[in-house]
This record gives sequence, structure tokens and C-alpha cells, in this order.
Amino acid sequence: MKKTTRLLVLSLLAAGALAPSTRAGLGATMKEGSPEFKSMSQLAFGPEGILFIADTKAAAIFAVVTDDTAPAAADATIRAEAINQKIAALAGTTADQIVIEDLAVNPISRQAYLAVARGKGPDAVPMLVRVSAGGQPELVSLVNVKFARAELPNPAADQMVGQGNRQSNRRLEAITDIAYSDGRLLVAGLSNEEFSSTLRAIPFPFSTVDRGTAVEIYHGAHGAFETRAPVRTFVPYKVGNESHLLAAYTCTPLVQFSLNELKPGAKVMGKTIAEFGNGNRPLDMIVYRKDGKDFLLLANSRRGVMKVATDQINGATAITEKVSDTKGIAFEKIDWAGVNQLDRLGERHAVVVRSGTGNAQNLETLALP
Amino acid sequence: MLSGTSSRPVARAIFKGGLWPALLFVLTACVGVRGAPPAGGEVTIHWRTENSSPAVEVAGVSPVVLEEFATGITGAEAARVFAVFAEQPGEAPVDRSAMPAMSGTWSVAAGRLRFEPSFPLARGVRYRAEVRTGEGPPVISFFELPRESMVPTTGVVQVFPGADELPENQLKFYVQFSAPMSRGNVYEHIRVRDAAGGLIELPFLELGEELWDPSMTRLTLLIDPGRIKRGVKPLEETGPVFEAGKNYSLTIDAELRDAGDRPLRAAFAKKFRARAADRTPPDPSRWKIRPPAAGTRDAVVVEFDEPMDEALALRLIRIADDASGKETSAMLEGQPALGDQERSWRFVPAKPWRPGTHQLTVRTSIEDLAGNNIGKTFDVDVFETVQRRPASEAVSLTFEVR
Repeated sequence: MKKTTRLLVLSLLAAGALAPSTRAGLGATMKEGSPEFKSMSQLAFGPEGILFIADTKAAAIFAVVTDDTAPAAADATIRAEAINQKIAALAGTTADQIVIEDLAVNPISRQAYLAVARGKGPDAVPMLVRVSAGGQPELVSLVNVKFARAELPNPAADQMVGQGNRQSNRRLEAITDIAYSDGRLLVAGLSNEEFSSTLRAIPFPFSTVDRGTAVEIYHGAHGAFETRAPVRTFVPYKVGNESHLLAAYTCTPLVQFSLNELKPGAKVMGKTIAEFGNGNRPLDMIVYRKDGKDFLLLANSRRGVMKVATDQINGATAITEKVSDTKGIAFEKIDWAGVNQLDRLGERHAVVVRSGTGNAQNLETLALP
Repeated sequence: MLSGTSSRPVARAIFKGGLWPALLFVLTACVGVRGAPPAGGEVTIHWRTENSSPAVEVAGVSPVVLEEFATGITGAEAARVFAVFAEQPGEAPVDRSAMPAMSGTWSVAAGRLRFEPSFPLARGVRYRAEVRTGEGPPVISFFELPRESMVPTTGVVQVFPGADELPENQLKFYVQFSAPMSRGNVYEHIRVRDAAGGLIELPFLELGEELWDPSMTRLTLLIDPGRIKRGVKPLEETGPVFEAGKNYSLTIDAELRDAGDRPLRAAFAKKFRARAADRTPPDPSRWKIRPPAAGTRDAVVVEFDEPMDEALALRLIRIADDASGKETSAMLEGQPALGDQERSWRFVPAKPWRPGTHQLTVRTSIEDLAGNNIGKTFDVDVFETVQRRPASEAVSLTFEVR
């Protein structure tokens, strides 16, 4: 890990030409330093170019002031062929040792950020990579940046004190998605031991003591029984003035619930509004507006990309009965093959990472359907 | 950008110590400069890999160039003069010249240009250093650390649960390996087969994250909950993964790679028979405790009413250091272990037992093999759930040490 911090020293010099940090903004509450990452699992942008980085191995969320706040032209797009090979070259290894964990587009600068692992074993080194309009990746320095850190509760560590302390801690809570909404960071997690689905809402700016709220989510798919299937991906979404989450579970009902219900100790019942069929794994979701209507775009492992008009969601009735195939609101299959990562780029485009020739992963800008 | 440039190896050296103590194979290929020689003399490239932080140095660079680097040129500007590339194997779908140079830092030391890569050099990757200080073609040098032995050394130690009869609503498997593994394709190499060897389709909840423990020696596999539950659509569509009365095997093929990218020593199969579904929560009031004798360090043994999830049973049962029974009580020091195919828990204290009442605490989030918690089955009627008050977090049992 010694390398990890040192390696990140360099490349923000290039970004130093960008706008200075917002002095009176949210960054003013943060300290300056060099956050140490054990992993980088998920990314999400908040306001003012603040990037949230989830570190599953450290059971922590970092908020980092990127200073990447120079607005880009509204038509700026990004394309980088074989981005995994280029990142491998940058990191001095081969593409088979590069794992692209997540993609987030800075809504201000329209530059793409990738959370990357260099290596596939326990010694994998996390890297934050930025891709600008030119298509070349660069390492983002995380040395002497303004940042804040929120610790997620780690039941294993608490329990291991004293008894059984000779046993190494084998519990890990994989962070499956994060999103920022109205002053809160939402974090979905899944343990490698207890079978439970938790969603935490952490107020931002982070306070030192608040560890967020653990909420168990139930949804009424598949007839009368709850499914404790974990939330795989979600997106904040407003219905009128009320904030909601649209969440996709692993087996893949689409569930809606109100963010106001996320209270300490609460058990939240989500409304299942669609079934997208089994044998499928939701990967990423975005919402966007086109021709005066809101749409949801959901990337899946086996069923490709699906588009749903959200006015149907607002009026949808919950599915409470057994369903024989995909059911609920209507969706349209979008012909975007091989999408592994998806985020929105402005009002009219999406940035995706998708499989190309051979082992190549291409970063592409696609017009929103 | 360099096609047609030939290189001529002129030196080989073996270094000892440092990051790669044995058999460091360094190929230093310094190429004489064609065209106008730089003012500093012959430019030579030296791979410094004897220390834990590898570096590449260039000797013979003109003072003018050294001065430029000494004043802090960096990034793309520096890379135009001196850069190190990690060559990408195979057919590159994009022009090689589009590949960026390695990330690192430049400096000047003892009259030489020095580049320290941001990341350690990887084995089996060919590195190319290029120096352009004059008008002519660049000086090029290659370096490669030999690959590690591909002789398999890692194996599957054990698969939990240990029992050879599992409920048809079995929820989880843990696969324990003897050494750290690589992630990325477990679902291609770990399968469930029926008695005839036929593949059961999509038995697992396939998570992109892959649920490894921090050391990456233990993998958690979750059976798709959609295929073990009552009334769930996938269950009706494709049937359950396991059906009572039938035989199955969980197979791990040898092509699953360890952290050194080596295959496993051997394939592994865990065979078992499915029994009727378990929809009964574990009940600690039915557990039997065999207390130890005071003054000894004999184990206290708890016999469960059914086999328990291995990881949770090891972690969520504890003994208070006093008799208050409070959850906040300090825990007795000692070593827990499971026995009898996870049907019992034993605990050897670090110090001899004191006589009197002892309190055993069990978190209600402990699970049996089917994911039932204390007081709560895995399948819960959803409309009751919303109103139901959260169950207490732990239950306590006592035993007397005499």
C-alpha cells in the first residue's frame, strides 16, 4: 500500500490548471490530506465536483474535492477505445490485471472517472482514473486533497474484540452502489456472511459520529413473501417534490420507495413496480429527461439495456401477485450491446464502458434513446 | 511510433536482494545512438530493480536536458524525452502509439535522469524505456521480470457446510482455499451438478463483486434466493436448485486461478444429498450445553438443534466475562471452534474457568443452513413484516461451572 499513496502524487499537476476549489462551498468543511484507500468499489458525484468513493475493504466512504469544476461545453463527449488496455499501460501491467469497478461522469466538467483495481488478488492496488474528452486516461492524484471520510459500521470488527480475537476478521460488506441525493449519501451493501440487504443514508457533509441509518428493505414481489434479495443498483428520483429511490434487486424486480421513510431502525416496504425476469443481474441505472418526459435506463447482465418511461412508474400499482413473466410497467429494449458500466453525460448522452473486440473495454458516449 | 526501430542487447545482469531477491533477471539493452550523439556522450539506460522501489536511469544525458528535468518538467512534457512503456500483448485493437506511457515521477540524481514508476514492475510484462535527447532515433531498452512458476500450489481446503445432507433451501456455501485467489470469473469455474453430472443452470446469485473475504482465501456463494423460496417466480419458471431426495455436487474446477494466476492443484467436488426444506428458525432453548469443570481449561460445548452457518456461528456466539449477561459485558478470552459438521460449538478459554454462572450470548442474526434467523424464518409474510417489531438482538443462555 505504500506505493498506493506515492503513485498518486503526480497526475493532478495536470489538473492543477483547473478551477480552484470552491472556498465557501462544501469543501470548506473538509480537511486537507491524503486519503488512504484499500479499495475503490463505487463512485458517485455530489455537488461542486465532490466525488464520493466507496472503499469496500476499509468499510468507508470518502468524499473528495476534485477541483474539477471548470464547466465543459454542452456538447463535449468522450470516447476511449480499449480503455482497459490504456489503463493497463498507464499502470505498468497488462489488461487482464485491470478491473474497472465503476464509472461516474462529473456533471460539471463532463470528464469520466473510473474506479480501477490493478490486480485481481488481495494485493490489488486501487486507482482513480480520469478520462477527458481527448480519450487518454490519467491517474488522479489523491495526495493533499480536501476530503472527508465516513466509516460504515462493521459488526465483525466490533465482535472480534476480545473473544475469538485470534481469528482474523473474515467478514466483508460489499458496497454495491452509492448515490447522492438532497444532502445524503445513500449506500447499499451486502455482507459475505449474514444474508441481509441494507441501505444506509449518511448525511453529508459527514459528521464524525453519524454512521448512517441501516434500513432493511422489503418488497412485495413474488406473491405474499418478502424477498431479502440485496439491492444491486439504485437511482434517486423525484416524484413531485418527494424524493424516491428506484432500486433494482438482484433477481430483478424494480422497486420504488420514499426516501422520507429512511429513518433509524425503520423497516421500509418498497413498492414493486416491475419484474424484469430471472437469470439476470442489474448493473447500473440512470434517469433522464427527453422531450418533456422522464425515463429510466437500466443496464443488465443478460437482458441488455432497458428503457422505462417514469410517468408509468408514478402511476404504477404494486405487483403483489405471482407473475409468470416480466410484468408491471412496459419497457423497451435498447440495442446497446455489452454494457458493463453506465452513467449520464449531460441531458442528451450516456457514457458507457462496454465490451469491444477481444478483451478490449471501450469507453463510449451514446445518445440517450 | 517505434516500428522499425531495432534494439541491440548489450548487457545482462543479475541483481540480488531487494524486492525480488532470487533470480532477478535484468536485461539491459542499451542501444547506441544513431544520428548526432548528444553533448553528454553515449546515452545508456539502466534498470534499477535491486531496491524495493524500482527505477530506470539514463546516463550520458546532456547538461541542458538534465537542467530541464532538474527544474521540474513532468507529465507529458517529460515523457516526450524519457518514458517507460508497458507493452500490451496480443493484437492491440488500437494503434500502439495511442498507448500511454507508465505513470511515474522524474528526477535528476548523480548526473542521471531518473524515472520511478508509480507501480511496481509486474512479472511477465515487457517494459520498454525510450529516451529522445537529440535529433536521431530514440535510445531504447527492454526489461522483463520472468514469470512466476505456473506449477499449481493452491487447493480447496474445505467447503462449508460440512454435512453431506443439506436442506433443499440451502442458502450459502463457503469455499476455503489454501492460499489467496484471483477474482473475476468464479461463476465460470464453480458449478452445481446433479447426480448424472448435468449442470444445474444459474444456481448462484451472481454478484459482480464476488464475495471474497479480505484475505481472498474464502469465497461465499449464495444460492439465488429466487430459486429457494416459496411462490417466487423463478422457482416456478426453472424449478428449485435443489430438490429433496436428490444427489448433487458442488464442483470447483482446477482452472480457477490463485492470486499468482496459477490453476488449482486439483478439481474439488463437494457431494451431498438434499433433504426436506428447513423453514424452522434455530431455537437456542433446545441447545444443550456441556459445562466444563472449574479451574480447568476444558472446552465448554454447545450442541445445536441443527447445523448452523459456519461463519456466523463462529462469530456471533460468545461468553460474557461476568455473570451480568449484559450484551455490553466484556467477552471471555478464548478460542471458539465448530465441530460435528457445524452441529456444535466449543470454546476453550484462555484462562481456567472460574466457578459459578456463565452467560452465553447468541446474536439473533445467526443463521441456520437455510438462512433462518433466531425467531425469524427466511421467508416471512411481507404484510406482517411491516408491522412487526424488530426482534431483540441477542438471546442468552446460562451454564454453571462447578
